[in-house]
Amino acid sequence: MEFFRKTLDPVIALSVIAVLDVFLFLVLGAWTVGGGETMMTGLAAQLVLGDDLQRIPFWSLVFPPDISYWKIYISLGMLFGAFVGALLSREFYLRFPRRLSEWVLATIGGLLMGFGIRLAFVCNVSTFFGLTPEMNLGGYLAVSGIIAGAWVGSMIYKRILEG
Amino acid sequence: MSVVGECIAAFLFGSVVGLLVQRSRFCNTAALRDAILFKTYRNTKALLVAMMILTMGFTTFLTFGDGNPMHFDVGLNQVAGLFLFGIGMVLAGACTVSTWVKSGEGNVGAMWALLFTFVGMFLFSLLWSANYWPPAPASMTGEPNLETLQLGYSNAATLQEKYGIPAVVFGIGQTLVLLAIYRAILRRERHGDSG
Repeated sequence: MEFFRKTLDPVIALSVIAVLDVFLFLVLGAWTVGGGETMMTGLAAQLVLGDDLQRIPFWSLVFPPDISYWKIYISLGMLFGAFVGALLSREFYLRFPRRLSEWVLATIGGLLMGFGIRLAFVCNVSTFFGLTPEMNLGGYLAVSGIIAGAWVGSMIYKRILEG
Repeated sequence: MSVVGECIAAFLFGSVVGLLVQRSRFCNTAALRDAILFKTYRNTKALLVAMMILTMGFTTFLTFGDGNPMHFDVGLNQVAGLFLFGIGMVLAGACTVSTWVKSGEGNVGAMWALLFTFVGMFLFSLLWSANYWPPAPASMTGEPNLETLQLGYSNAATLQEKYGIPAVVFGIGQTLVLLAIYRAILRRERHGDSG
């Protein structure tokens, strides 16, 4: 099938996603990823810590673990859709970072993303595909932050590339 | 909609997104990083087009009181949080979407970054439980609260309420700004091609 042989124009892909996101906004709320990830973190922590999780007020006051939280299923859906796409286009294979520096960058990057999402209540998706199109003041604040952060990150990345 | 219906709708939406992002190789990190470092805009243009469609769609429905906008007070924490996030996504080479999509393609580095995103969230939960900042949504008032560095809640719907101008008018204004940025990128690309 042609769809699985050629790379799709991202403008077409994002236009389709945007139209679907408008429908999602009408029935549930705009596309977001960080909330579902936070709930997964809470559920995983509950599994490991059990009742001791109650000693961390965040998990009772802000994000009480709840497996029926719809945002979790957006993330699981993305994983599933990407897996199917990769499988049918024969692009699925296990790739491991080759250098130690790649593992370190993924670790630091992941930690900063997780910490940043919870500090801001939003991730990049909610910023560009939710808050800003709703013209929420938080969207403009978040866009300023992410552009400044991406600039600093790019400068660090450039220095690493230059060795 | 029932809870099960909500989860199914979310899963179907996510599946289509995962498939389209995988097939198009769209990356939000690249949309910012490549524009800053390499002056290439393949992903930036797609992001802008999506934002134009969304702005018009959301503000049109908000005009009639429809839709489910995000509702929480905003403030300094959005700037600081996304600043950290922006550094993190460039270092990890993936954002929240691409960590899931690349994981679905078998990229172990993306899975590793995703795992540490969860760890980062858990570490934040420990810090929040010590200082309770930013305020929990339950204690938000919608009004500015400078003591907690919060500016309150406002979006196209509240602008409509305050000024009596339909939300979609503000939406058209924002779409025109996004279109101007899009056209500036096209001009830059043409200039680059001819030069």
